[in-house]
Amino acid sequence: MGEYKDITPGKKRIKRLYTAIMLWFVGRSIQAAAKIDDDVKKEFEELPDQFLFSLGVTPDGPRMLVGKDVNGRVKYLGSNPKGRKINVDMTIKNLEAAILLFTFQESTAISSCHDRLTVDGDIPSACSVVRILDMVEVYLLPKIVAKLAVKRYPQWSTERKLMGRTKIYLRAILGF
Amino acid sequence: MHIPGYFEFCCRVKTLAGHNALESIPEALAQLQAKTPLILTDKGVAGAGLIDIVINAIKDKMTIGSIEDDIPPDSDLRVVNHLAGVYREKNCDAIIAVGGGSVMDTAKGVNIVVSENADDLIKFCGAGAIKRPLNPMIAIPTTSGTGSEVTLVAVIADHEKNRKMLFTSYFLLPDVAVLDSRMTLTLPPFLTSSTGMDAMTHAIEAYTCLAKNPLSDTHALAGIELLSQNLLNVVQNPDDQEGRLALAKGANLAGIAFSNSMVGMVHTLGHSIGSVCHVPHGTCMSILLPYGLEYNLHKNSEFVAEVLYPLAGPEIFAKTPKNQRAEKVIEYVRKMNQDLYDATGGRHSRCFKEVLNRDGKQMVTKEDLPKISKTALGDGSIFYNPEELDYDDCMMVLNAAWEGTPLNRNKIKKG
Repeated sequence: MGEYKDITPGKKRIKRLYTAIMLWFVGRSIQAAAKIDDDVKKEFEELPDQFLFSLGVTPDGPRMLVGKDVNGRVKYLGSNPKGRKINVDMTIKNLEAAILLFTFQESTAISSCHDRLTVDGDIPSACSVVRILDMVEVYLLPKIVAKLAVKRYPQWSTERKLMGRTKIYLRAILGF
Repeated sequence: MHIPGYFEFCCRVKTLAGHNALESIPEALAQLQAKTPLILTDKGVAGAGLIDIVINAIKDKMTIGSIEDDIPPDSDLRVVNHLAGVYREKNCDAIIAVGGGSVMDTAKGVNIVVSENADDLIKFCGAGAIKRPLNPMIAIPTTSGTGSEVTLVAVIADHEKNRKMLFTSYFLLPDVAVLDSRMTLTLPPFLTSSTGMDAMTHAIEAYTCLAKNPLSDTHALAGIELLSQNLLNVVQNPDDQEGRLALAKGANLAGIAFSNSMVGMVHTLGHSIGSVCHVPHGTCMSILLPYGLEYNLHKNSEFVAEVLYPLAGPEIFAKTPKNQRAEKVIEYVRKMNQDLYDATGGRHSRCFKEVLNRDGKQMVTKEDLPKISKTALGDGSIFYNPEELDYDDCMMVLNAAWEGTPLNRNKIKKG
């Protein structure tokens, strides 16, 4: 018998890195959008104080946490859920499903409908989180891509879109 | 046929269906290694003599732990905790739920408490919070509508904190569903009509909304056919035992379909009207179904058109040009509502302004619509609707459904 080299499964490093960067950026963008957009702000106001949600890839993929502090301020809280009480936990079942979501081939709603994304926790709060994610995607993406990511592209004024987009990008990159 | 890139389907409920299906319960419980069931029901079911039929069918072969018939129409946390106490006190090892949606939901809530040995049900609230199998449960529906006997959902009210708790988990699926024609034989025609349209809505929304898949489609289409062929006939001839069993099977198939592919805006708005104005769920579904179809038609007309065959039969399907079939489905559903209205002497409502309470007062007023719309935005079924639905959209649909006029389709914001 010849000697055969063990084949180990690939680690999909590039996909993992891409997903991690997207989650990091979306998390910081949510924090920024909560400061500059009235609709996002309103959605967060409806959520309870110290509300925390998480979006990540199972079993041990990248993750982001966003929550409200005791003063109601929205914060991106990194990627480590240990010791935290998560109110809405959105889990993408594998890295391939995450790539579909973060390359905007599939919207958050469709991802959930196709059983690639599970949502655990309070349902009305989860509805708010999905609406927040949709609005942030509209800010971050050009219309041609955002139309794939949301069910209906909103009819926002050009001013709202452009000013909001600039401010969110700046805040997300600079982290404030 | 629509085949999503990935989908999941699960229905592990054993179904016993037939004119004497109740007699098979002892054997089904023995297979689950249970021998002392707690029977849960409500006063209406017990008063109609249905519990006597169940007991006569099983009493010679097993010991009944207790029969509790105090479940109110709106499931309540206090009742759940009380019944969990009875279950423990009488050393029961299984639950037999006999009734409609409220009894099923309460039974599921009791099962969570006794199986998890919990003192606070809130810990298990939400999606996926129940992580392990519960104690054996047998569901015997007494309406052909909710499909609760095959669904993974339970809604329990907490009246003290004025909230409704939603539980979803595969572990909430009952182990066995028993469809016996004797259990629905005495259901009055107006309840048969609204619960039947509830089941029809489950099947049609399961087939036309975003999470559809080939397995749920198969169940949905079979459900639509059985319900459509039998509903009006049974409302007109309540003693038709074959028709009753066919409706029960139709509702069961619809339940399996929507439990796996979920439902859309008809339920989004219907749940909220139920929550705000306490209108019976089946009534909401009957009224809203044509509106849900109209609202989404620009997104899913292909699937709606396919519903025409099981809904109206091969002759109407063949006579209707392909590009008119979806519209024909909406027209057919409206006609069904009208026929049921006529057959029940006007008790099957066609629009919300016709829905009256026992004192003859309108249950839904125009002033309620903003609150209903706001509540709707927090309903999970909104995810599964093909078109986006915001506050203004809800108001537009509710206004039309209140008046009973078709939607002005030019006003629908199309995504």
